[in-house]
Amino acid sequence: MEILGTVIGVVVKSLIFIVGMFLAAAYLTLIERKFAGHVQQRPGPLHVGFHGLLQPIADALKVLTKEDIVPANVDRVLFYLASLLAFVPAIMILAVIPFGEPFTLFGVEIKPYITDLHVGLILALAFGSISIYGVIFAGWASNSKYPMIGGLRKAAVLIGYEVALGFAMVGPLMMAGSFSLREIVEAQEGFFGSFIWYQPIAFIVILFAILAETGRTPFDVQEAEAELVSGYNTEYSGMKFGLFPLAEWYIGTFALSAIAVILFFGGWKGPEIFGFLSPFIWFFLKVFMMFMFFLWVHWTLPRYRVDQITEIAWKVMLPLSLLNIFITAIIIMIKG
Amino acid sequence: MVSVKFLERPKLKFWEKIFFLDFVNGLKVTFKNLLRKTVTTKYPYEKLTPPKRFRGVHAHRVKDGQEPPSFAVLGKFMEINYNESRCVACYMCQQACPMPTLFKIEAIQLPNGKKRVTRFEMNLLNCLYCGLCVDACPVDCLIMTDIYESASYERKNCVIHMEDMSDRGRDFDRRRKQEKDRIWIDDEERNKLWGQIKWI
Repeated sequence: MEILGTVIGVVVKSLIFIVGMFLAAAYLTLIERKFAGHVQQRPGPLHVGFHGLLQPIADALKVLTKEDIVPANVDRVLFYLASLLAFVPAIMILAVIPFGEPFTLFGVEIKPYITDLHVGLILALAFGSISIYGVIFAGWASNSKYPMIGGLRKAAVLIGYEVALGFAMVGPLMMAGSFSLREIVEAQEGFFGSFIWYQPIAFIVILFAILAETGRTPFDVQEAEAELVSGYNTEYSGMKFGLFPLAEWYIGTFALSAIAVILFFGGWKGPEIFGFLSPFIWFFLKVFMMFMFFLWVHWTLPRYRVDQITEIAWKVMLPLSLLNIFITAIIIMIKG
Repeated sequence: MVSVKFLERPKLKFWEKIFFLDFVNGLKVTFKNLLRKTVTTKYPYEKLTPPKRFRGVHAHRVKDGQEPPSFAVLGKFMEINYNESRCVACYMCQQACPMPTLFKIEAIQLPNGKKRVTRFEMNLLNCLYCGLCVDACPVDCLIMTDIYESASYERKNCVIHMEDMSDRGRDFDRRRKQEKDRIWIDDEERNKLWGQIKWI
């Protein structure tokens, strides 16, 4: 019976997370379009609903009902698999992200996370790495030149930044002494306990890595519109096409922002001024601020060349993150 | 002879390299733009009025007593009622047009010896809106209006005829005959949008 209860609880929580993430991602598209519009002094979506509030729903209906064209010479299995492989791992990262402390509602203890693994961060990194396959498969299976180039570029960028991201995460981990995201949050006490004050270098490296992983602008070589029609998703249409930007630009950015918030900004911690909801509100506020920062960077900067990006990854970010580990280790040794 | 001048990329200072100062400057610019008002027109709901000299869909001015003196001479030989297109079928517009088959003009001689224009058609699908026909017209009949929405579902609807051209001309003159020409160097509306433009 106890196992059944756990299973039902986990299933219900997963469903809430997945549906919530879908809705959130849909409205993140609206936020992005509004933001991009106003940065360019145009209003963005305006006519569907009040100031375009129903636009995501209209878009979803449109994408879902579009004809799904599969080109004749594609590798069918990989072609179908690719869009799922890009999307599923991105949403699986949410399994280990804690949104708040456990609380009791109507006498039932509710944990606002799906699992609290001891290796949560490694799992998140692993899922992040799997989503590369989606892009590479999409590029390969499309049997077309632009997607191929886009997929390979993304692979080159991601391999470089995965390494830097992994090493940069070691700094906060050493300070927290745990891989569990919940314990990392609990290790950060108070405003000046946040790891951002102790690990600024790691934070900068992780900012760059998140921009590269999610393919946002300074590093969006994989879908450089000027050179590769739309990069690896050129041959896709319908919802299979819709899943790629949804996974990369919105769910991916959201999940990685959440991890960055947990590692550096103390997760759900903050003054308890909103009652029992305050952990959630603080967490989502912080994640939202991170997300908006990425949008801001995206709609400001022009694109780097591929060689420059990989150069930054291997020659700047990797040494920086190693240096950060070294300094952190020495300080921890001295302080004991 | 064109000569090429090679420019070195400006070297970044140390602090600019470390703290990405040019990134920060760019971010500042976008943030400023974020707070500014939008400059767009919500097109199907709001439409900008083009300047009076805009070269839009063609129209015919009608005989309304304000013709240029040249019409007094030509009009003697014409059978034109009041408030009707003042076209004298001189084919000047067709001569000036870079597209030979764009105009279809026909006129007949009435039993009383006078000339009457029976057909004046323009196929706007072939028109490049250069305005040469307007310049060529000796009686100030053919004009271009400020109407720019000439799209249509069928090709035959893109051909304009004498009747609807004179309707359009009457409408255009009613709306904008009295308006002063906008000379765009010292145009107030333009100043409001983009500030005074400096001319060297």
